Amino acid sequence: MNYNRPEETIRIDWLTVIIYILIVSFGAMNIYSANSTIDHTFVFDLSMEYGKQFLWIGVTAIIVFLILIVDPKFFNFSGYGIYVIVIVMLLVLLGTGVINKGAQAWFKIGSFKLQPSEFAKYATSLALAKFLGTFDVKFAGKKNIAICFGIILLPMALTLAQNDTGSALVFVSFFLVLYREGFSGWYLVIGLYLATLFVFTILFPSLYLILVILIICATVFYFFKKYNQMLWLTLIVFFSSAIFILSVDFIFAKLLQPHQQQRILVTLNQDVAEYYPRKAKEFSLFKIDANRKDKKASKRDYSYNVRQSKISIGAGQWFGNGFNNGTQTKAQLVPEQHTDFIFCTVGEEYGFVGSTTFVLVYLFFIGRLYYMAERQKNDFARVYGYCTASVIFFHFFVNVGMALGVLPVIGIPLPFMSYGGSSLFSFSMMLFTFLKLDANRVNEVSSVY
Amino acid sequence: MEKSSKLLVFFIVLTVIGVIFITRLFFLQIVDTSNYYKALAYGSNEITIYPARGTIVDRYGKLLVYNDAVYDLMAVPQKIKNIDKLRLCNVLQIDTNEFNQRIKKASKYNTREASIIYKSLPFNIYSQLQEIIYEYPAFFIETKIDRRYNINGAAHLLGYMGEVSEKQLQVEKYYKPGDIKGVSGMEKSYELYLRGIKGKKIVLVDKFSKQQGSFAGGKFDSLPTAGQNLIASIDLNLQEYGEQLMKNKFGSIVAIEPATGEVLAIVNSPNYDPNVLVGQSRNRNFSALLLDPRKPLFNRALKAPYPPGSTFKTVQALIGLQEGVLTPDTKYPCHGGYHMGSLTVGCHPHASPLDLEHSIQQSCNAYYCFVYRSILDNPAYNSVQDAYLKWTQYLNSFGIGIKTEIDLPEESPGIVKKTQYFERVFGKNWRSSNVISLSIGQGEIGLTPLQMVNVATVIANRGYYYTPHVVKAIGDEKILLEQYKIKHKAMINIAYYDSVIAGMARVCKPGGTAGRTGIEGITICAKTGTAQNPHGAHHSIFIAFAPRDNPKIAIAVVVENGGYGAEYAGPIANLMIERYLATDKTITSRKDMLDRMLNSNLVGSSVYDAPKPDSTLRKPLLPLTAKP
Repeated sequence: MNYNRPEETIRIDWLTVIIYILIVSFGAMNIYSANSTIDHTFVFDLSMEYGKQFLWIGVTAIIVFLILIVDPKFFNFSGYGIYVIVIVMLLVLLGTGVINKGAQAWFKIGSFKLQPSEFAKYATSLALAKFLGTFDVKFAGKKNIAICFGIILLPMALTLAQNDTGSALVFVSFFLVLYREGFSGWYLVIGLYLATLFVFTILFPSLYLILVILIICATVFYFFKKYNQMLWLTLIVFFSSAIFILSVDFIFAKLLQPHQQQRILVTLNQDVAEYYPRKAKEFSLFKIDANRKDKKASKRDYSYNVRQSKISIGAGQWFGNGFNNGTQTKAQLVPEQHTDFIFCTVGEEYGFVGSTTFVLVYLFFIGRLYYMAERQKNDFARVYGYCTASVIFFHFFVNVGMALGVLPVIGIPLPFMSYGGSSLFSFSMMLFTFLKLDANRVNEVSSVY
Repeated sequence: MEKSSKLLVFFIVLTVIGVIFITRLFFLQIVDTSNYYKALAYGSNEITIYPARGTIVDRYGKLLVYNDAVYDLMAVPQKIKNIDKLRLCNVLQIDTNEFNQRIKKASKYNTREASIIYKSLPFNIYSQLQEIIYEYPAFFIETKIDRRYNINGAAHLLGYMGEVSEKQLQVEKYYKPGDIKGVSGMEKSYELYLRGIKGKKIVLVDKFSKQQGSFAGGKFDSLPTAGQNLIASIDLNLQEYGEQLMKNKFGSIVAIEPATGEVLAIVNSPNYDPNVLVGQSRNRNFSALLLDPRKPLFNRALKAPYPPGSTFKTVQALIGLQEGVLTPDTKYPCHGGYHMGSLTVGCHPHASPLDLEHSIQQSCNAYYCFVYRSILDNPAYNSVQDAYLKWTQYLNSFGIGIKTEIDLPEESPGIVKKTQYFERVFGKNWRSSNVISLSIGQGEIGLTPLQMVNVATVIANRGYYYTPHVVKAIGDEKILLEQYKIKHKAMINIAYYDSVIAGMARVCKPGGTAGRTGIEGITICAKTGTAQNPHGAHHSIFIAFAPRDNPKIAIAVVVENGGYGAEYAGPIANLMIERYLATDKTITSRKDMLDRMLNSNLVGSSVYDAPKPDSTLRKPLLPLTAKP
């Protein structure tokens, strides 16, 4: 299809590209601000991370160029291949990866580290799109649904096995894609309901909570008893809720690691030292050790990052301190500020006006991706577009939510903003693959051949 | 659900999250301002830039007090890596063991923060270190300012510096913990002028307290303003001479220029070198001084009230004349003293009767018993008590019994009792005979050496004094504080001084009580005093001024346990006067007297051996003489 290549570039969605360039440049500015010190101010200083980021941006430009000249059919064709390669990489990592920040998630190549889990999202998107884009395959029927779940859960499990919980959670975003493709919205609602119950169980005594749910179910049944299956429905809701509530203690205290427990408690503004003795007194199927003590189990330790993050953002007030002038930022008081907590820099240096503008532009960007995904003419491109938008959206939601202290600390980067070669490469690859597919959409006859 | 309406669900979710985030941002950034202030406190360090403290020169511009930079070698233990330890130790002149120990101690305190590795680097080490320090990135030299005194005496006058106490920190916002301020002497009383205005620099610091450049481009920074220099009224030469003369004696000398109230010398003995209270050995030396039973820190000139003894007769005579109970020609007999019933105030043998002038020359006790009784029993007053009250008012007008308000801290008002005191002791209707000892300056009266010299000043000026002060001028504008321009008038008519001064002029001439202490060519008007001391030998006291016309210097000398006024205080006062008035400060016409004073020892075995200052203190780099 060489004959129509010159026109393709024109059909690239330039608005998205411009927003992308704006976000990447703004990210580099913020990394410079958070990472440069009085001794290191030269912009391309490769001994500093802000300097390396410029290198990554340069490499990204090459990758983007390569993606744009590749025939769009390549992505559909190689979808499974890339997926397999990444799965193999993740498996190899389990034995040989470099452990960094508690997770065995990096390959070390020279002095640079590569994080395959970043590319796993790309590979999973391609594989899921390829599967759902196959002629006559829909998200229906036990076999197809199982394959879709398998495609998503396999890399998720491997990432989890590397102890990289944050990256593993990102795969949850693919369920948004499945929702678009026919997965019932009720499952997402149930997920949200369980999450809410989980939070409430931590905050309030389990038995009171069960009592409240009983009252609600009884009330609902009373008013809607004219419907046939209302009795069964309310009974199922009540008992499953009650069982879930009683098992929250087990999930929380046994399945989650201590630092994860602490992060959740800190986000919910609970005193870590006070939580376990309080819970031990309550009725529970699972015995909680009232005297359990983690080595660093003080609220202060675990809340430090969030506290500093909130202070940084709060320090910005209306208009912020201006570029490279954030006091918290320059003092490097927020750990991981140039990576996962990059939003603090936005908050401190550009204030409420700047942060709000940033949030709006970013949400517009994501919304634009969803809009573009919906306008695709073939299933592969549409599913892939929804994957791209959802992964970026999930990252944005969790990352900014964590910096603002409304979500527990989950270490995942803010796409196109946070420092890191792997994440910049993988998100850019994802985005531009989609832009390439989008540019080519007019050449596609239809999803039905 | 239609597929296109699912896109709407996505848009709704995006909108809801946008609303949540922006609301949260609004709360964090706009509503909750506490984050803003926390950030200010966390991320920036306000570094105080200390101004240079004002220097002090003497009345002729000779440097008395100056600043010296002291250098501490600092190190951040965490950053010490791969250094040429041997070379550094060689420069520091310590062995590697000692060096390792200091680093260990520093890292024990805090590995990330800079600690002192070598305090107050000696200058030779400092200059060598300057050449190699760039090779040791973990090390740096911090400059601090310390006080130096270009005189090894006058400690009570100049005072010393000390760390600001917690109590003061709460009262005075200027100071921060660890700041030093003047705690005594001029350093204390002129603190406001000497200290200058601090500058500040707001720097951003990282989590390791490492500086990360200035905040907001230095918009909130300010430069320090140096403290104001002081010109003291002290004559350094005279001061040092006085200290030599007082060697091995306890007591005090205060000299004043009568026409201005400027203090020319203020000598205390025992004394100490003010340089012992700076630098590394300050604390050790301070406790040594504080615990010394001879009280070298005690400022006798301002704080010790002595009975003025016979020097008080000059005041009695003037009050008598003013009250009209005495004329210059009044004669009183003396037969070995003053007798009244069982009461006897003894007197040495001399011609009798005497008139006023000769009563001062001879220091007749009986004469002043008559004078004082006539003052107290003056029929113009209803009672002795009323007359006594009036008498104390006269004393106050001489600066006796009240503080002179000299510009030095912790002055004693001396002792002048109220009538109520005598009522308690002698009953309601006490009589003049009860307080007869006051007539000759004994008993319930005490004057500090400063008050004694003030009496001499009033007589020298024929009726007035300016508040004594040790600072002639402040700052570049050479300001004299307003309170030192006010003339305080004694309640004695100018006409009455002549006969008293005539009597005082005879004292240092043959036939006077200090007849053998006179100086050729100078008319010294003086009065000897011998204060009875219940604890031992009499105190030798002397007040004087010279020359008789247009006096240039008034002086009071107290030598504890020095016997008669003419024995020690007289010679010292006259030698001081000679030195001050002479154009050539190296010769004296009374070599015999000078030698006797220098070689005498009144303190026996308790000769005061003051602490020695740090040997590492450098000599001043500044020119020693500034323009007065």
